[in-house]
Amino acid sequence: MAKAPKAKKAAGGTEGSGRSLVWLSGLACGALVAVAPGIAVLAAGLLAPGLVALKLDRAAGRPVARTVLTCGLAGCVQPVIMLWNTGQSLETALIILGDPLTTGVAWSAAAAGWLMTELVPLGVRAVLEAGALARATRLQVLHGRIAEAWGVEEGDGERDVS
Amino acid sequence: MTGTSEQNPVGGHYLVDVNAPLPDAGGGLPVFAATDRRGPGRGSAMAFRVTRHAPVRARALQTVFTGIEGMLLPLAHGLGPPLDGQDAFYVICQAPAGPPVSADPRPWPEAALLDRVLRPIAGLLEDLHNRGLTHRAIRPNNVFLAAANHPLTLGAAWAAPPAMHQPAVCETPATALCHPAARGDGQIADDVYALAVLLVTLALGHPPMEGMDDRAILHRKLEIGDFAAITGGERLPPLLTDIVRGMLAEDPDHRPSPTLLRDPGSVRGRRVAARPPPRAARPFRLGALPVWNNRTLALAMATEPAEAVAAIQTGTLTYWLRRGLGDAGLAVKLEELLRHHAQDAGSDREMANAMLIMRAVAAADVFMPLCWRGLALFPDGLGAALAIPAESDPDLPHALRTLIALEATALWAVIRDERGQVAQARLEARKWRAVTRIKGPSGGLPRLTYALNPLAPCASPLLAGRWIAMMSDLPPALDALAATSPAVEVLDAHVVAFIAARSERWLEQEVKALTLDAAHGNPASPILSMLRLLSEMQIRFHQAPLPGLAAWIAARAAPLTGLWKNRERRTVIEERLQALTRAGSLPPMLALLDNRAAQTADAEGLRGALSDLARLDAELHAITTGTDQRAALAARLGQEIAAGVGLAAIAATLVLAALG
Repeated sequence: MAKAPKAKKAAGGTEGSGRSLVWLSGLACGALVAVAPGIAVLAAGLLAPGLVALKLDRAAGRPVARTVLTCGLAGCVQPVIMLWNTGQSLETALIILGDPLTTGVAWSAAAAGWLMTELVPLGVRAVLEAGALARATRLQVLHGRIAEAWGVEEGDGERDVS
Repeated sequence: MTGTSEQNPVGGHYLVDVNAPLPDAGGGLPVFAATDRRGPGRGSAMAFRVTRHAPVRARALQTVFTGIEGMLLPLAHGLGPPLDGQDAFYVICQAPAGPPVSADPRPWPEAALLDRVLRPIAGLLEDLHNRGLTHRAIRPNNVFLAAANHPLTLGAAWAAPPAMHQPAVCETPATALCHPAARGDGQIADDVYALAVLLVTLALGHPPMEGMDDRAILHRKLEIGDFAAITGGERLPPLLTDIVRGMLAEDPDHRPSPTLLRDPGSVRGRRVAARPPPRAARPFRLGALPVWNNRTLALAMATEPAEAVAAIQTGTLTYWLRRGLGDAGLAVKLEELLRHHAQDAGSDREMANAMLIMRAVAAADVFMPLCWRGLALFPDGLGAALAIPAESDPDLPHALRTLIALEATALWAVIRDERGQVAQARLEARKWRAVTRIKGPSGGLPRLTYALNPLAPCASPLLAGRWIAMMSDLPPALDALAATSPAVEVLDAHVVAFIAARSERWLEQEVKALTLDAAHGNPASPILSMLRLLSEMQIRFHQAPLPGLAAWIAARAAPLTGLWKNRERRTVIEERLQALTRAGSLPPMLALLDNRAAQTADAEGLRGALSDLARLDAELHAITTGTDQRAALAARLGQEIAAGVGLAAIAATLVLAALG
């Protein structure tokens, strides 16, 4: 009886910490917009695919959004440094953001991240299946050899040999 | 017929010439000239060809005769030259030096009868009696005259069952009534009786009761008494008359012993009062026979059992016994037996009738043989009776089987307990019954037949034409049979019974195992038991190779080699078996196929293999059914890898930015 409120409390705690994280994230974003509006606009523009993935990915741990965001972040580093070096103004951020090459590189990096999340599991699965097939073949050869040596027919394995 | 036996001398020494028959030397039996190949000077010999279903007198043949003159003694016995394409068994005896007395029928003077016939033959009978033997073949054509004024020589009596070839006149009515093969060894008094008949024959110069058939002779003797019937009213010398009268006494105990006969004067002085049986004024008719006294009544009941049962049950016989014969004692006995019969008839009327007749005959004449369902025999003749083939008398096996099953010989001995030996009869009857009750091929009448006839050949139809009388002859015979007819079952019931009887207790376990295995139905066990039995036979009786039997076993050894589950090991065993088969050695084959320790290890190995196979099957099953798990794992790993690559890309970009 005492466990149910505790579990509810624990679930409520996780939900609460998630909600706090959202609030903290919102607060950080607000602070960023207030302190460095240029960087915030530039990051929002370049990381747009990642934010979309974050919104769409409902899987536990959001693996697709995570990879899309990290790859998108890799594409943001150079434009952010450039904005930083040019005074961090909103106009400069919009200019950089308007450059199709810069935006294309960042979004391409995000797309590459998404592609990886789709292709790498397939590759891993192919490797695993090949390994299982090879193991099964080895086992069947061994099985045949033992059955041949002892004259065991299919289904003899369950018989009483006493 | 074939020639002499250079290749197979009888007993290792005697060459039989089957082209030289000696018609008068065998007392009516087929006999051939034989020579001792150790050289002349050992006396002439002759060979009796033994008939398959008339077993020889094994006890007499196994007796060592030394210091006996005047009788044709057995010298050797065994297989000799084949006759008509079949094995032939011979008994070698001394050959007579002259013709039988029947060849020159003439009256002999009394002095010659006493000095050259009675005294010497009585001496021989005394010798036989001292050795526990009887002769049972004293008849005119089996007594030989070597030379004028010489004592007579007693012929051979060893190559056929006792008294089998005796004419009815030379035998007491009791033994003459028996089946010729089932008269038994009897007692020395039976030889004294036959000697008396010989004396009468020689005194008269012609056979007594000439021209009468056996049944008439029997009836005449029982009706008027043996002495009167045999002498037929003819006059004999006075001394001889007294001696012969005593020797032909109805009661064997009243006949003079051979020792006494050596002194004829003392025999004459010995008179035994024997009251003649009462005779009725008018006969009682039982079947075709007129009954005058208790002895003819016993004969009539033995030969006409159905009419006898009816006469006893209706009371006509007991009425005649009281009113006609005046023997109320016998009438009371028969009424008592009828009461027993009424009790027995509830279970099996046929058996009850047989039992009634057996007891009634013994009650009417205590000297009569055991009369059972048309068969008359003395218990010591049972062995020879069992050897009579069923083809010659289809009812005989059933009669003998029931006689043994009901222990009739013991019951018969009880009825005539005044003759003694009841305890021994009971013991023997129980022993015989126990043998016939042994289940399976190792028991029954065949085994008893071989046990009671130690030199009788194996009667298996598989060995037709072969004479296998000893265990040492059986393995090569079976080997030849297996080689020529691989499909036949060489160990048939007769062969197994023969082995069980002849090997005594040596092969008892192996023979028993055959029966048990047949009952269990395990296909491997009978083969193993047969191999064990044949192997023991090779070890004990025949050490030479037996390739035919080895191949016969090898052809049936599939269930035994199939017990080995490891194929490689099985192949090795099969190759080794083939090698041993070619060598014809059964004991190593047995050791190879009956290796318990190796078979246990093989079974353990199979268990381990099955366990490994089960583990492999489980693993293969897990691989087959693990597709979804592998897909989930691949998805998780792939996304982790992708995330890792993303982080690596950030790190690489930052490093590049830092480096400018």
